[in-house]
Amino acid sequence: MSMNTAPPAMAAKERRWITSRPVRRFVRHRLAIAGLVMISAIALLCVVGPWMLPHGMLDIHIRDRFSPPGSETYLLGTDAMGRDLAARLFMAGRVSLMVGIAAMVLSTFLGAVIGLVAGYFGKVIGTVLMRFTDAVLCFPQIFLLLVLAAFLEPNALMITIIIALTSWMEIARIVSAEIRSLRERDFVTAARVSGASHTWIMFRELLPNTIGPIIVAATLTVARAILIEAYVSFLGYGIQPPLPSWGNMLNNAQQFLDTAPWLAIVPGVAITLAVTSFNFIGDGLRDALDARSDLQ
Amino acid sequence: MTIRNTNRMNRRTLLRTGAAGMTLLMSNAAVGRLAAQEASGQVVIGFSQEPTVMHPHMPHIEVDEGIHFNLFDPLFIVDTEGNFQPSLAREVPTVENGGISEDGLNWRVKLRDDVTWHDGEPFTAEDVKFTIELNQNPDFNAMRRNGHELVRNIRIVNDHELTWEMAEPFAPYPAILSWTFIVPAHALADAENPNQTDFRSNPIGTGPFSFGERVAGNYILLNANKDYFGEGPHLEQAIFRYIPDMTVLYTQFRTGDIDVIGLQGIQPDRYEQAQQIPDREIVIAPSSAVESITFNMGNPLFQDPEVRRALSLALDRETIVEALYYGIPEKTESFLPRESYYYNEKLPEAEFDPEKAAQVLDEAGWLPGADGVREKDGVRLAFKNSTTAGNNVREQAQQLIQETYASIGVEMEISNLPPAVMWGEYWMMSQFDSVMVGITFTTGPDPDVSNYLHSSSISAQGGAGQNTWQYENERVDELLEQGGRMFVPEKRKEVYDEIQRLVHEDMPFLPMFQYANLRGHKTGLEGFDPNVNVRIETWNLNEWRWA
Amino acid sequence: MLRFLTYRLAHSLLLLFLVSVIGFMILHLAPGGPLSQFALSPGMSQAELEKIAERMGLNRPLPVQYLDWAARFVTADWGESFRDGRAVLDIIFGHLFATLLLILTSTILSVGLGTLVGVLGAMRRYSAYDYLATVGAMVALSIPTFWFGLVAIYVFSLRLGWLPSGNMYTIGDESFLDYAEHLIMPSVVLALVQVAIWSRYMRSSILDVVGQDFVRTARAKGLTRRRVLYVHILRNALIPMITLTGIQLPTLLSGALVTETVFTWPGIGRLFLDSLGYNDYPVVMGVLMFTAMFVLLGNLIADLLVAGVDPRVRLE
Repeated sequence: MSMNTAPPAMAAKERRWITSRPVRRFVRHRLAIAGLVMISAIALLCVVGPWMLPHGMLDIHIRDRFSPPGSETYLLGTDAMGRDLAARLFMAGRVSLMVGIAAMVLSTFLGAVIGLVAGYFGKVIGTVLMRFTDAVLCFPQIFLLLVLAAFLEPNALMITIIIALTSWMEIARIVSAEIRSLRERDFVTAARVSGASHTWIMFRELLPNTIGPIIVAATLTVARAILIEAYVSFLGYGIQPPLPSWGNMLNNAQQFLDTAPWLAIVPGVAITLAVTSFNFIGDGLRDALDARSDLQ
Repeated sequence: MTIRNTNRMNRRTLLRTGAAGMTLLMSNAAVGRLAAQEASGQVVIGFSQEPTVMHPHMPHIEVDEGIHFNLFDPLFIVDTEGNFQPSLAREVPTVENGGISEDGLNWRVKLRDDVTWHDGEPFTAEDVKFTIELNQNPDFNAMRRNGHELVRNIRIVNDHELTWEMAEPFAPYPAILSWTFIVPAHALADAENPNQTDFRSNPIGTGPFSFGERVAGNYILLNANKDYFGEGPHLEQAIFRYIPDMTVLYTQFRTGDIDVIGLQGIQPDRYEQAQQIPDREIVIAPSSAVESITFNMGNPLFQDPEVRRALSLALDRETIVEALYYGIPEKTESFLPRESYYYNEKLPEAEFDPEKAAQVLDEAGWLPGADGVREKDGVRLAFKNSTTAGNNVREQAQQLIQETYASIGVEMEISNLPPAVMWGEYWMMSQFDSVMVGITFTTGPDPDVSNYLHSSSISAQGGAGQNTWQYENERVDELLEQGGRMFVPEKRKEVYDEIQRLVHEDMPFLPMFQYANLRGHKTGLEGFDPNVNVRIETWNLNEWRWA
Repeated sequence: MLRFLTYRLAHSLLLLFLVSVIGFMILHLAPGGPLSQFALSPGMSQAELEKIAERMGLNRPLPVQYLDWAARFVTADWGESFRDGRAVLDIIFGHLFATLLLILTSTILSVGLGTLVGVLGAMRRYSAYDYLATVGAMVALSIPTFWFGLVAIYVFSLRLGWLPSGNMYTIGDESFLDYAEHLIMPSVVLALVQVAIWSRYMRSSILDVVGQDFVRTARAKGLTRRRVLYVHILRNALIPMITLTGIQLPTLLSGALVTETVFTWPGIGRLFLDSLGYNDYPVVMGVLMFTAMFVLLGNLIADLLVAGVDPRVRLE
């Protein structure tokens, strides 16, 4: 983030972000570091893992189906069609992590822009936008998500968009609240007087000052997006095979709970680990950046 | 946990009707009459879908018919062999007994005179007339008008006899009547709006069971109709329990929470395990639905007969049936169920030979392109295959096929859709490339398949029907029209044998297997007898009893 | 107070209006339609489906359909199910008890347990226990609820046979014990996430209160540690929790939907999923509106409660 455009009035506040204090605090946060290590390991496995396994995720070996973990060449066993579970798990990890991160980027962008515009313009535009945000917040997320998913072609991109469309509201609220408190500050007035455009003030003056809470919320959104993908896939409206995701691996595994429990356990553990990592990191960032969670 | 309510119920009711053994001494006729009063015990049936539509003529799905069969009666029913058996009619009208005129245009039906509705009113010819006319009523939201639309001049001869005329001969009409449940005129005729009646939540029928209560999202309770005119019922109560999850459904069958596992039953991969459960009997119930891969002939790709032939050669039906469906269903070549009298046994068996498939494509000018996928005149041999999202076994079959097709240079992309989208205009108006679907082509036991194969049934071309593969063959059209007007089975069979042969040759769709569903019940339940000619296994609850 | 109420009610009505427009648009603009479920029944054709659609009023212009729906909605006539023709409101009320039972049980469970864990954590800040509780809460927040439910079914129903795997009661039994037996697993599974949230917020809420003047005053007055905890700290720390309960309602309802699915619990969530599967638009729409009203009302009550309990809050 280029901070050099910030006016002198903000310098004191700003130093907090750039100096190493937050970084030091983050590093001291043992859980956050654990989370970072864990998610890096998972991501690495998902990226290189498939190349290190003898079987591809789509190779069907009907005769070897339902092999338990550790049998012969199958590290984590095989599924109902005799496909290597480890290969599928790693490929699914790519999909799930990508969906989670892409949904986060999209929803953060959406939320930040809406929050920024609403907070900056206040009055009519702000009220309209925030009422709209409130209205979307009235729907329990899963309900809204299912209505959308039930009528759209369920590919990875669509699921990402749907998740983003149902999880931008919190960020919008945080940003709009921050902006409203910053709007009347001296440095904004100064910029306005010096003839800066609204867009300039919003994106170059105000937005950088809300980056802390946004980062925290965004990290937690990744965690939630991964979970949400799993929920929607479990309920049958998620990413469709043959593309594996952690969520749809679980959906298929449900019926073999009895005979091949590893099919359910393995992806479930993967989801839990990944989501926990992001939650740990988010928690650490929150402490480090001292962004209080907004109860309003 | 171990003492299940059903068992308790059995013991309790057994004590109440203590003298059960006495019936042995009575004459057969007396037993039949007494059986109803002897009704004892209850049965809990688990369904994974919820029956909600109690009015048998309003739009509904198959699970609803599981209730209709027990609350109502048609004029005659179709048995497991595909024969009609009289129910509310005294005899099944045929050309021989004069019920139907030679030309099929005049009908005469004689009714039983000992039938009463659940509310005590007598059943008369008026009710039959009302039911047929209800299905013609333009204001009524009827599920199907097919066949009923042709009926003219219904005349009531007396309380228990009526006649009508048909606008044209229509051979499937008896089959349609066999699932047309008669509803009471006295309860429905005065309704201001035929679509909004109490009947929907409080149905009155003539059937072996009367409506007890429905707890939405949970269960439906039916009580024995002790005055039932036919056999049974031998059970005092029937509870249809709605258990939306297939795994939970199976678990509850295993633990004994439910006595019978009905629609959609046990998944094939659990067959072996299910057979090990003590005191349970697993039944393979034949279904008339045929699973196939269908091609949209409106797509230039599939207009090439060699492409269809190659895709058939590369379709590994054996592995799909044996490995994915655990050998429970049987491979088939026809769209008619094997049990049908009209089934053509002489159809040549489709071979599985990917090499030959590749050769066929080579010869037809489809040659591998840069990415390994075959092309011809700039068109890639690539298409989508769709089905309802969430059907696991079918998804596995798709993936298996995808792999084999890829090996001969054909790209099949799997693109499954939520049911609302899949079976909407995407299917009806032929917007798909190819689809994997299980379809019942027949009308009950009748072999008429005009709705699926006649060129006038292509909705995408303004027709009325479900010829969604846009199949057009003049000879088949002619034969279908001919067959639809014939009433003598022996002669009719020749026509349908020929239709099956032609369709098998043209391959607008590739039949893979005829469905067989796994159902199960507790040992000791007698009378459970799935019927291939109806859509639900609870069609004969009146015959069920505990040993 | 009156002004506050009027304002909040007007605000809620506006939100409800927006909710209805959003919901209606998503449902009706989507491809496919409520009739596709009949497509595969024998003898069906597109022409026949269109006739049914016309009789059901499904091919009128969208704004007309919306106005028709809205006009009926405000007179408490939420339309009728496409499936069984029953009034939508009746259907929802029919499923309400199950959901309320589940939600209330699990809330009681999570409030109790969450408060305990949170208080202990705050009292022994940075102890091994506190650390463990924090990690535990984070993991609990990260476990997919349905997966936890499946594992629970596997262990307690399939392997051990201790608890029923689903449903709300055994037909014909329906005793208190029978209900309780069926309630254990779903309510614990649903409470999992709530306990985590409660304990986290409780902990930080207490730490907030501890630092405040009146606590120091109370301590200085020589009150016992325990009395300070129970009378002063806990009471004040619980106030923000009321607001939290209101805010958590949508999450709780989402959780209930998933839990009801796993345990075939006949509640609102199950109803919603089924109705969606059968494209029963009136019911889907009804449930969306109902949950929105539930959420709005919950938050209003929470705010009123806070105002009643906390002398510092005045409603303007």
